[in-house]
Amino acid sequence: MIALRLVRLLVVLLVVTFLSFLLLSLLPGDPTTQILGLSASEEAREQLRRELNLDDPLFTRYLSWLGGLATGDLGASYTTSVPVTEALAERLPVTLELLIAAQLVALGLAVPIGVAAARRAGRPLDQALTALSFGLLSTPVFVLGVLLILVFAVKLQVLPATGWTSISVDLGWNLTSVLLPAITLGCAQTAVYARLLRTDLIATLQEDYITLARARGLSPRRILWRHALRPSAISLITAIGLNLGALIGGAVIIETLFGLPGVGRLIVESIFARDYLTVQGGVVLISVGYVLVNFAVDLVYVAVDPRIRRA
Amino acid sequence: MRRRLGWSFWLALGWITLILAAAATADLLPLPRYDETLVGPPQAGPGPDHPFGTDGLGRDVLSRVVYGARVSLIVGIGAVLLGVLFGAPLGVLAGYRRRATDAVIMGVNDIALAFPALVFALAVVAFAGASLLNVLIVLGVLGVPAWVRLVRGATMVFSEREFVAAARVLGARDRTVLWREVVPNVSLPVLSYAFIGMAVAIVAEGSLAFLGLSVQAPTPTWGGLINEGRPLMEDAPHVVLIPSFVMFLTVLAFNLIGDRLRALTDVRQSNLEPVRRRQADRLPARPHHVEEDVLLQVADLRTHFTTARGAVRAVDGVSFTLQRGRTLAIVGESGSGKSMLIRSVLGLTPEAGTRRGGRVYLDGQDLTELDDEQMRHILGTRMAAVFQDPMTALNPVRTIGTQVMEPLMVHLGMKRKAARARAAELLASVGIPEPARILRRYPHQLSGGMRQRVTIAMALSCGPDILFADEPTTALDVTVQDQVLRLIRRQREERHMAVVLVSHDLSVVAEWSDEVIVMYAGKVVERGPADSLFERTRMPYTEALLRAVPKLTDPAHHPLRLLPGRPPDLAHPPSGCAFHPRCPYARERCSQEEPPLFQAETLDHLYACWYPVGTGAGVVETSPELSGASGTAEALKAAEEAAELEEAAEAAEVVAEAAAELETTDVIEGADSRGR
Repeated sequence: MIALRLVRLLVVLLVVTFLSFLLLSLLPGDPTTQILGLSASEEAREQLRRELNLDDPLFTRYLSWLGGLATGDLGASYTTSVPVTEALAERLPVTLELLIAAQLVALGLAVPIGVAAARRAGRPLDQALTALSFGLLSTPVFVLGVLLILVFAVKLQVLPATGWTSISVDLGWNLTSVLLPAITLGCAQTAVYARLLRTDLIATLQEDYITLARARGLSPRRILWRHALRPSAISLITAIGLNLGALIGGAVIIETLFGLPGVGRLIVESIFARDYLTVQGGVVLISVGYVLVNFAVDLVYVAVDPRIRRA
Repeated sequence: MRRRLGWSFWLALGWITLILAAAATADLLPLPRYDETLVGPPQAGPGPDHPFGTDGLGRDVLSRVVYGARVSLIVGIGAVLLGVLFGAPLGVLAGYRRRATDAVIMGVNDIALAFPALVFALAVVAFAGASLLNVLIVLGVLGVPAWVRLVRGATMVFSEREFVAAARVLGARDRTVLWREVVPNVSLPVLSYAFIGMAVAIVAEGSLAFLGLSVQAPTPTWGGLINEGRPLMEDAPHVVLIPSFVMFLTVLAFNLIGDRLRALTDVRQSNLEPVRRRQADRLPARPHHVEEDVLLQVADLRTHFTTARGAVRAVDGVSFTLQRGRTLAIVGESGSGKSMLIRSVLGLTPEAGTRRGGRVYLDGQDLTELDDEQMRHILGTRMAAVFQDPMTALNPVRTIGTQVMEPLMVHLGMKRKAARARAAELLASVGIPEPARILRRYPHQLSGGMRQRVTIAMALSCGPDILFADEPTTALDVTVQDQVLRLIRRQREERHMAVVLVSHDLSVVAEWSDEVIVMYAGKVVERGPADSLFERTRMPYTEALLRAVPKLTDPAHHPLRLLPGRPPDLAHPPSGCAFHPRCPYARERCSQEEPPLFQAETLDHLYACWYPVGTGAGVVETSPELSGASGTAEALKAAEEAAELEEAAEAAEVVAEAAAELETTDVIEGADSRGR
């Protein structure tokens, strides 16, 4: 079973990398112009194309790029000559920290909100929380980010609007600099997660085993957290995996908005600099990460719901 | 339709219409041009000349927002159309054809979904050029996988329905079936998702524009406006706040419309959900005498639900007593209120929209007066319950051990180790082999009979005085049924407990119970010692139930005797005796006056009927419709007897009516003497 999944994973990874390679190679625009400038002579371009193997058939170039990928070599940036792997490695920790912090914020808010709403389904608190979730869901992440900067950085001046302090420099400052971006990115997810959890919890709370737990004289708090939460978490866990795409898209914007030196911002900067190889590396890194996380999510199901082990 | 969509739908539709109209007629509106600088003082707040103020270059913000709406709406609507155009046919194909077609389409689709859309859109737009058309195409194409998945799901649901299967069997061509049966049904979910898809596309376009990768200046876009306004946040926050707010409202409106349309397709809503109410108020209890020396006394217990169709009287004035060491059976058809009665005794009725009344005394202590905490202690240690379906009675994600040990640790304060040892003993006592191994198992790893044994072990864990068993064997194999009932009886004897057994199986009830309560429409219609009630049945409903039990002595291919008619609608029960529309003996009085509980000749045997069977007060001793009498001769004879009896019955009625004028409990002698 696991072996079959691994094969499937490998196929998906190959297709994903090939398609990103294909798509970015087919797009108009000539890298030689980026490197040599518009005024370069045709011979100089021709020579450069040969050096960079740009005239080889697409599939050959993909294979050699894939071979590079296996050894951790994604080529060097046409514009800055920094190896792509190095540039990505340097930026990745920032993005990872942002994503993890955002997920923690989202789950930290969504679980209590979802539980509180499900417990009082149909009452005013539930209706208010549902409306709040709907509102958050309809707020584009950059709008929310701008609003939070306006309130917390400009008006209240309690958190920095932009900038990044690495964990290795100072943990306190690091947390301060990640807080506002993580809240911004996490809020939209909070709405998604809370709604899913609320729906599933309401269904679970009508199950016989919950009524029987009440018949055994267990407290509502115990029933909610120990009996009902875990069977209701499947949709939530699926959403954590599936929403990673949206979260990464959001991270690109958040990193730009808050000036965080992450992979997303690197991609945006490279796009403006027409730095193909770096963009390609970044896109592949993100796609692969996304596929891997969803693979991991499949494995987490099993831990949460023992019934799936049989399947 | 109008009401079901709600006011928020129409408000949202109004806003979108307004934005659409403004964007379409922007050139005709009396607005300064969006790129004309210094039409007013820079960074001026909202005022009469410029309702939305001006930006850093003195451009009119209202004009820029209105023109920006064009880009957002064109991309939003265009991307959705593109997505539907490619996604819907593929989805219908995958959902309708299934098999290989489905596998290929969905395989490709899953891979397509593995791309982080926004990052991809960024790269493509950046290299292909940031024009309106490119943005529209990229966002449209990136939306296709979601459309395929949605349409496939909806198609699958409908192509499984009977009418589609029927059309296929009748030889309709696939194309005809698709257009006539599937497409109309799939269109509502598609319409709903179209609006949500527009919201998604508008946000995506906004994100690209915010990064400077959508339609280029000087054309304004909402995302671009918000990005431009950022440096002015401190001095002129309106420049960033107003476009943000307009964008928020628009996305919200699209989402709302999509959500309300989706709610239309939600078939789960019937009109019988409890209507939300404040904390349920109590129904008053009628005066009653608190009995001494009984384990459990239920007095005038009532449970009513407030629903959209009116008050449903699920349990309506039920009284009984129960002694230690005895088994009380509650019988009746589905929906007669049996299960709700025991949930009501245990205080487990849903909170919302429920009104409960009456009293429940355990050893003389009124349980309805207890607070939640005290009631939980009683539930944990003195009363226990087992439900019908062992498949749903155990929590699927917790081990058997965790579940059996929990009440021991919570109510008896046992430590983990002691609780585990005790749990193993309990499992062994209900006949589970290798209890230590079973404790580590999950419910799905056990058979139905095993699971029911586990739920019984859990119910018995804290040594209850009363076990409430709600159809404990209905979901089990016939061979296992007997074992489980034996187990319950043995435990009752060993622990000297009382058992309340809910069942619709009268053969089970006759064999295993001491006393019987027959329920109909939430009320007790007959009650008494099991032998007396079955041998000298008085209530026609009980008689009908008894006749409906198949017997081994029935000839082969004998038609099943069913109860004629339907169970009553509890929201609008029939007048008088609730059984009268189905009762073969019913007379005018039955539809007008509700019969009280009369005393039969056997002590403690009560029945609610004006014309009880077996006393001669009823019209006929055996009615042809009910008995399933095989010979016409027999039927004719019965009819003759009936005619003879009619006069006597009428005389009896006069007596009974006179008796009814005395109060309920005093009726007894009169009722006994009538018809004799």
